[in-house]
Amino acid sequence: MAASALTGCASVDERGDAAAAVAVRLLTAVQGDDGAGACAVLAPETRAELIDSAGRPCAEAILDENLPGPGPIEATAVYGQWAQVRLAGDTLFLAVFPEGWRVVAAGCTPRPDRPYDCVLQGG
Amino acid sequence: MKSFLRDNSLGLVFGLLFLLVLAGQAIAGQADFNDRQLTDGLPPVPLGRYLTSASFAADVAENWQSEYLQFFLFIYGTVWLVQKGSPESKSLDEIGRESDEKQKVGRYAGPDAPAWARAGGLRRTLFSNSLGLVMGLIFVASWYAQSVAGVAAFNEGQLGDLQDPVSWSQYLAEPDFWNRTLQNWQSELLAVASMAILAIFLRQRGSSQSKPVGSAHSATGVEG
Repeated sequence: MAASALTGCASVDERGDAAAAVAVRLLTAVQGDDGAGACAVLAPETRAELIDSAGRPCAEAILDENLPGPGPIEATAVYGQWAQVRLAGDTLFLAVFPEGWRVVAAGCTPRPDRPYDCVLQGG
Repeated sequence: MKSFLRDNSLGLVFGLLFLLVLAGQAIAGQADFNDRQLTDGLPPVPLGRYLTSASFAADVAENWQSEYLQFFLFIYGTVWLVQKGSPESKSLDEIGRESDEKQKVGRYAGPDAPAWARAGGLRRTLFSNSLGLVMGLIFVASWYAQSVAGVAAFNEGQLGDLQDPVSWSQYLAEPDFWNRTLQNWQSELLAVASMAILAIFLRQRGSSQSKPVGSAHSATGVEG
């Protein structure tokens, strides 16, 4: 799946399903206090930003970010190297890396005519 | 073989240059795309992935549509529009679709005329407008392709900026679509106007697109 997500050979539905699975994996790991598991699906810059801002290891810091538990998947959108996964109660943005989809931003709430406001994001 | 190459050198050379420049665009486009990937903290994409991306398709299609629009407008426009002194214009007294005799169709068709020029009805009408029609159809198809690839490329940027994607119909009202479209249209229209007017006063010896060097500035519809 990682290879097909990188090359874009998989169908849009398959890529959306793969992105949604990673999004759910993140929130499930946080809900289960599995900080290491949650950090494993973060994009490198998002992980680095979290460590910098918290001044603690990622596996500890991510559990204090107040991310919601994984709700039902409402919609996924995939365009090129990016995906948006909407769950009941959260919206996540993911990008393609050599290992597959990784979460760039989570805990996002929409703002009119502006980018989403995200609890966790890279850059 | 040598005479074939010489007799078809215009189409062959420009066709080859097109392929070379398209390859150059692909390489430069991939580098530009990957610069933005790195800025976003994302890994670079291989050339094959870039060639199938919406970004590349939109960049190619937006230029194609404007070129075919230019030819479509020029072909149809020069039926009725003239430019005194320009080799791009026909004579000032030939405005319009011209007579069957002048156009060598129907009973005026010569023995070597295409069959559909000799025929009547729909076939002759179609063939009489086939150049403009095909240019127009390619324009519409490539403009549509630009919109489809453009919305996907636009949405990739939207997601990268942590914003919602838009639908195809919403994209048609986005500044991105019209900026891509109009920046190409203006340059094509400028090129046509420049060629029609500059060729009144300037010459290129030996070129089919220029009047003979010694022709008067006022001579219209004369090509070298």
